[in-house]
Amino acid sequence: MTTDATATAVEILRAEHVTKLFGPVRALKDGSLTLRAGEVHALVGVNGAGKSTLSRIVSGHLRRSDGVLRYKGQDVDFTMPRDAMRAGISLVLQETSIAPDLSVMENLCLTHFGQSGRLDWKALKRKAVAVLEELKQADHLPLNQRAGDLSMAQRQIIEIGRALQQDSDLIIFDEPTASFSPTEVESLFEVMRLLRSRGKALAFVSHRLEEIFEITDYVTVMRDGNTVEADVPTKDLTPAMLIQMMVGREIHNLYERSGVPVDVRANREPLLEVSHLASGAAVRDVSFTLHAGEILGLAGLVGAGRSETVETIFGLRKRDGGTVMLNGQPFDAASPRGAIARGIGLIGEDRRRQGIVPDFSVTENLLLAHLGRDPGMGRHYDRHFADIDRLMTELDMPAHILSAPILGLSGGQQQKVILARWLLLNPAVLLLDEPTRGVDIGTRNTIYQIIRKIAENGIGVVVVSSDFEEVLGLSDRIVVLSDGVSVAQARSELLDAEILAMYSAPRSSAQGLHDTLADLAANLGATAYWLQIERGRVFCFDLVANERADTGIDADQFPLTGETAIPIALARVQPGASVVDGALKSVLFKLTNQSGHSFGYLGLTVPAPDALPDPESIRAMILNSMADHGVGQLLIAKQTEENTV
Amino acid sequence: MTSKPLNATEPGAGTPERRRRHRGFLHRFQLEIRMFVVLMALSIVLSIVSSHFFSLGNLFNLMDQSVVVGIAAIGQTFVILVAGIDLSVGALTGVAGIVLGLTLTSLGLPVPIAIAAAILVGGLMGLVNGLLVTFGRIAPFIVTLGMMSIGRSLAYVISDGNSVSSLPQGLSYIGSADIFGVPANFLFVVLLFALAWYYLTFTKGGRTIYAIGSNIEAARASGLKVSYYTNLAYAASGALSAVAAVMLASRLMSIDPIAGNGLELDSIAAVVIGGASLFGGRGSMIGTFFGVLIMGLIRNGLNLLNVGPYWQGSAIGAIIIIAVLAERIVTTRLNSRGQ
Repeated sequence: MTTDATATAVEILRAEHVTKLFGPVRALKDGSLTLRAGEVHALVGVNGAGKSTLSRIVSGHLRRSDGVLRYKGQDVDFTMPRDAMRAGISLVLQETSIAPDLSVMENLCLTHFGQSGRLDWKALKRKAVAVLEELKQADHLPLNQRAGDLSMAQRQIIEIGRALQQDSDLIIFDEPTASFSPTEVESLFEVMRLLRSRGKALAFVSHRLEEIFEITDYVTVMRDGNTVEADVPTKDLTPAMLIQMMVGREIHNLYERSGVPVDVRANREPLLEVSHLASGAAVRDVSFTLHAGEILGLAGLVGAGRSETVETIFGLRKRDGGTVMLNGQPFDAASPRGAIARGIGLIGEDRRRQGIVPDFSVTENLLLAHLGRDPGMGRHYDRHFADIDRLMTELDMPAHILSAPILGLSGGQQQKVILARWLLLNPAVLLLDEPTRGVDIGTRNTIYQIIRKIAENGIGVVVVSSDFEEVLGLSDRIVVLSDGVSVAQARSELLDAEILAMYSAPRSSAQGLHDTLADLAANLGATAYWLQIERGRVFCFDLVANERADTGIDADQFPLTGETAIPIALARVQPGASVVDGALKSVLFKLTNQSGHSFGYLGLTVPAPDALPDPESIRAMILNSMADHGVGQLLIAKQTEENTV
Repeated sequence: MTSKPLNATEPGAGTPERRRRHRGFLHRFQLEIRMFVVLMALSIVLSIVSSHFFSLGNLFNLMDQSVVVGIAAIGQTFVILVAGIDLSVGALTGVAGIVLGLTLTSLGLPVPIAIAAAILVGGLMGLVNGLLVTFGRIAPFIVTLGMMSIGRSLAYVISDGNSVSSLPQGLSYIGSADIFGVPANFLFVVLLFALAWYYLTFTKGGRTIYAIGSNIEAARASGLKVSYYTNLAYAASGALSAVAAVMLASRLMSIDPIAGNGLELDSIAAVVIGGASLFGGRGSMIGTFFGVLIMGLIRNGLNLLNVGPYWQGSAIGAIIIIAVLAERIVTTRLNSRGQ
């Protein structure tokens, strides 16, 4: 399918049917990837899809179990990163491998330290300077500076510099922008464009749609350890199509609805009310309400602050701000002990780290939380044997595993043990962080059923999950987190994976766009908003209101276009055209990225008698404002092109 | 992947209840049984090469020599189980010994009060170790290394560098009493081991100590009193160092500021030979007990075989390394089986 592409570009690397086994676990089942010179290739997939495993195999950090790896036309088998590096393959890691106490120059030359013989410092310095000049960073990165004092993006640039220094032909970026600010992203992209123009083959591992569409030429999609779409030109894709490819797994039958109607359960008294919760840099402003008997999903991408949110509620992290009310009473857990005493349980996302005690039997693992709660000196396990036997039957687990070491169980069974540990305490609230991570699909179904049963018994359940389908299928309501802020809260039947992705995409430009909206609202006396319209519903990402023009749009509600105050303007959007709805006048502009993909609409509404500047001047005003606030990645389509819609 | 059911053929049928509590004796005590086999094998070898070995006199001698290390090793086991290490054991024995001696001689207080004072000093200094580890978040190695230096120095300061002799006769009774010829202090050590084993196996605190060493994050997230029991382990180690000092003083009827020198290493060695993991969470009092006996047996054997004292250090060192290597191999095999 890519014959025309391969005809023009030189193929650098071809991985075919690569597999990787970790013990009996298949982290990678069938990974394929083709990279060519002078192209940026996106390797995308949800968490655990196998993209990092594949890139580590290509770069020699891992050895493949099976499959073909061809580099520059030859079969290769790298046993360690240094082999791949010598051949010209570099992996730029998310967690950069910078030695913080060494200088910029020493870090740039770090790979030379591994070679035998004396170091020629003068030559190294010349090289380092040349590399920085090539990256146009010579003015920004003094060679003597301590690397630990640099920003994340600057550290990444050092890593890229290292790759260049060794004349790498293939550079893989593994989620490089995870902790970047918008300007840092832009400077990284400049470097990447430069490298592309020099004929390097680049692979960009990411799940940030905005960035994928901005920087990449081709896309390979991975799902469940398989390459499901290979070598699709980015320009042929839309964000919606890409999301579909990433999450489009047929597991709908897994999420059977429970018998009790959601309304009946969700209309009970609030059980847990979280408002403006803040903790460190990860949780900035999170608010949501949980009712008894309700399953509330916390959706978002890695780094959105979901795990940190539940850990803060549970007392594992220091709370810097906000309030939590439990049954109407203020609740402030300084430690998990306090939270458990008040009836809150947490199942952490990393079972090995936070859940199981490896040297204990299944029984002792089940009773671990009781050790901290039961009165008296003795361990008194026997008091709980009756409850355990009942629970084991309920959870469909054979009794003979009770005396077995916990490590002898499969991941799914271990997860059931941890679930049972908390159920034995009769909690009021259960916080479940990625409850099905590393669990096979069969046990997954059982875990969903258990979670539903827990909720039916009146326990409030919060489920954190990166799998949009899972959140949608399991939860009654969903709260979307993005960059540590709860950006939306809705009943799950109103949402779908695409809208969740739109909300949860870490909009590196969100703050800049908010400032732009504020500028517009102030300059024109208007209500300004950023929204998307899907299936006749308005999904508002941000809104700066002006009381003169009440649009009836709310970031928390998802009204049908007809339910807003500006139905005509929203029903059939004509970018750039002023549309009058009774007493209100609105104008919308289509927002795209540099490769022309839609990122919703920017609009403003004023009272109808107000005179609006002509569309072209508003457009110029928006563009200026966006430029002022550093929103470099998004554009406003010219309305002349769009009016044909 | 399918979830793999465990092998259903358990030895010894019975109700689930029974099986839960009495998983095969062989399986539950496999570590202790391994140690016992090593102990027996060593005894047989020694009785073959030396006719003196199985004499009652030699056995009692062996018991007597194991008392001090045994008591220190109990405390060391607690600390190692919570993934710590206590390098201050020997130094605290020195301080507590001097406190004991001076309370008896300079202050002229009765023996029980002097013993209580020594244990209090040892326990408090151990608690300081614990507080620095839990709340100061300093690595146990560093904290107890510092305490080792401070403790030894304090022992010299308090005693002005002199040994304390002419201890009252009441003290010597502790070191010399016997029950049917068996040294009473050895029986006391056996009793302490039994109590510590019971505590670690059957109480909430004991299980919490294992949980902390095995996975501190899971212990914390399950609401266990992690700091409290970590402090308890260090305090216990300090207090038991003082008990060791009492035993030492009662046997020699004098105490030196240098007393207990090297005890930290001997106690660590006994715990490690006893199968404990220095990463915490794995080990047992019975294992440590056998570890103490194996150490004593080897020392004893080397003496019987007229191996010069210069060579004994090499022999003991080699045995420690071999013990850890064996533990590593067993652990790796267990883990790969667990996967």
